[in-house]
Amino acid sequence: MLETKKLTKNFKGVQAVSDLDLNVRAGEIVGIIGPNGAGKTTVFNLITGYLQPTKGEVIFNGKDITGQKPHIIAQYGVVRTFQLDRIFHNFSVIHNVVTASHLYARIGLWEAAFDTSGYRKKNRNTGEYAGNILKLIRLDDKKDEIARNLSHGHQKLLGIAIALAANPKVLLLDEPLGGMNPAEVDRTLEIIGEIRKQGTTILLVEHNMQAVMKICDRIVVLNFGIEISRGLPEEVQRDKEVIQAYLGTKKDYT
Amino acid sequence: MKLSKHWGYLFLFFLVFVIPVFIKSEYYLHILILSVINIILTSSVRAIAVTGQVSMGHAGFKCIGAYTSAIIAMKLGLSPYLSIFVGGLAALLVAGIIAYPITRVKTVYFSMLTMFFGIVVTLVTSEWRSLTGGTTGIINIPSFGTIKVFGMVIDFNSKLPNLYFALILMVIVLFFLYGLDRSYIGMTLKSISQDDSLAASIGINVARYKAIIFCIGCFIAGLAGSFYAHYWGILNPDSFSLFHSIYLLIYMIVGGTDRFVGAVIGAFILTLLPEVSRVFQEYQPLVFVAVLYLVVFLLPRGMVELPHQMKPLIRMFYQGRAEPHAGN
Repeated sequence: MLETKKLTKNFKGVQAVSDLDLNVRAGEIVGIIGPNGAGKTTVFNLITGYLQPTKGEVIFNGKDITGQKPHIIAQYGVVRTFQLDRIFHNFSVIHNVVTASHLYARIGLWEAAFDTSGYRKKNRNTGEYAGNILKLIRLDDKKDEIARNLSHGHQKLLGIAIALAANPKVLLLDEPLGGMNPAEVDRTLEIIGEIRKQGTTILLVEHNMQAVMKICDRIVVLNFGIEISRGLPEEVQRDKEVIQAYLGTKKDYT
Repeated sequence: MKLSKHWGYLFLFFLVFVIPVFIKSEYYLHILILSVINIILTSSVRAIAVTGQVSMGHAGFKCIGAYTSAIIAMKLGLSPYLSIFVGGLAALLVAGIIAYPITRVKTVYFSMLTMFFGIVVTLVTSEWRSLTGGTTGIINIPSFGTIKVFGMVIDFNSKLPNLYFALILMVIVLFFLYGLDRSYIGMTLKSISQDDSLAASIGINVARYKAIIFCIGCFIAGLAGSFYAHYWGILNPDSFSLFHSIYLLIYMIVGGTDRFVGAVIGAFILTLLPEVSRVFQEYQPLVFVAVLYLVVFLLPRGMVELPHQMKPLIRMFYQGRAEPHAGN
C-alpha cells in the first residue's frame, strides 16, 4: 500500500536516510525503531512531503507521490502526527477535530460565507463525524475544553484525533507514546488497535520497546539512516545487530 | 435566547441607521463617515491578520482603489456607482499578482514586504504626474450625484446620504466577513495562524487560503478607498501613507484581535477620539501610541474585554454602597 524505494536523504554530506525500502501492506501496523538520530522522523518527513528526498521514490497505492506538497499528500490519504504536542492550542477540543475534518467536509468558500442550507447540512454532518472521532479517541468528555489546558497525554491523543479526522488511509504516528505514564500508554495502545480495526493502516515510530513489540505486526530497525534489521517483533528482538546498535556491546542480552 | 439575540442585532441596526438623522453638524457627519470607512478597512486588515499575516501596506490597496476609481470616473466618464467596483477589482488584481510571492513568507517578513509595497504605491502615485497629478493629487472627482429613490431626491453632495451609503457598504462588508469568520473557513484560517505545518498535514492548502483571504481583504480596501475618493472629491498621496496603514493596525489591536467586533470598536473609538479635544488632534500619533500602550498593558485582549474587566469593579462599587446597610 505504502512503499518507499531506495529512499535517500543527505543533509550536507550526512546521510540521514540511505536506500530505505519500506513496504507497508494494507491493514498492518509497521513499527520503525532505532536509537536517537537514526533517521526515523526524517523518513516520516520524506514520506509526507515535509522534506524533499535526495534520491528514491515514495509510492502510495501504485501512485508516485515523491516530493509532493504536504497538503496534497494528506489529500491522497497519507496523514502524519508530530512528535511534540502539535495541536491548535487556542481551539477547543471539538474545534480542533472539526477543523481537521476539512477533507471530509469539503465545504466551499462561498457557501460558508453566505451560510447556505447546504453548508448547514454539511456542518451538521461534520459535527457528527468529529464527535465519533472523539469517542474513538476517548476525549468526548473533554470536547469543550480549550486544547492548551489539556494534560500532556490528552494533547498527544488529540494530535492523533486531528490526524484521524483528515480521513487517512495510512496513518503515520510519530512517537505517539512519548512522555506518557503507563496507564496512558495502555489506553493509547488500545486506541491504536481500534483505529487499525477500522481499516486504517499504521506506520509507527516509537521508543517504548515494550509497546512496539506488543502492537506491531512487523518492525524495521534503523541505525544512522541504514536499515539494520527487519521482521517480526520476536525476530528483531533477537537480532544481534539490533542489540549492538542499542547497547553498543556484543553482550547477549536475550 | 436566540430570538432575543436577533432582536439585539435589530436594535443595533436601528441605532446605527436612525441616529445619523438627528446629527445636524456637517463636521460630525464627516467624522462618522471617516469612522465607517476605517471600520471597513480595519475589519479587512483583521481578516488577513487572522491567518497570522499582519499587513502593513493596507493603505496602499486603498490608494489603488481610490485612484483607479477616480481616474476611470473622470477620464472614461463611468458612473461612480460602477467605478467603485472597478477600483475594488483593481486592488484585487494587484493583490492577486503579488499574493503568490508575498503569502509564502511568514510573520515579520510578510509585514515588511507589504509595508514596502505600500510605500511603493504612494511613491508611484506621487511621481506618475500625468495620471495621478503628483503630490497635488486629483481634485473635482465626481460625487455619487443626485438620484431619485421612491420619489425622494437624494443629493450626494451633502454628507448625510454619503454616510448612509458608507453604512450600507459597511453592513454588507461586515456581514460577509462575519459570516466568513465564524464559519468553517474562519476556523481554517485561524488554524493556519496557530500552526501552519500541522494545518498542511491535515490537507489544508495553506498558501491558497492565505492568498485568497489576502485578496479578499485587499478588494475590500480598494472598495473603501474608491468610496472615499468619490465622497471626498480630492485625492493626494499623503492620505495613503504608511501612517495610515499603521493606524489601521493600532485600531485593530486596541479593539482586540480575538473577536470580530474588536476591529469595529477599535476603529470607531479611535477615529472619534481626536475629536474630544484640540490637543488630541495636534498630537494624534502620540495619543494613539499612549492608548495603544495603555490597552496592551491593561486590556491585553483589547477594548472588547472592557465590560468583562469592569464587572469586578462594578460589583465592588455596589458592595461598597451596600455595606453601611449591612453594618446597621
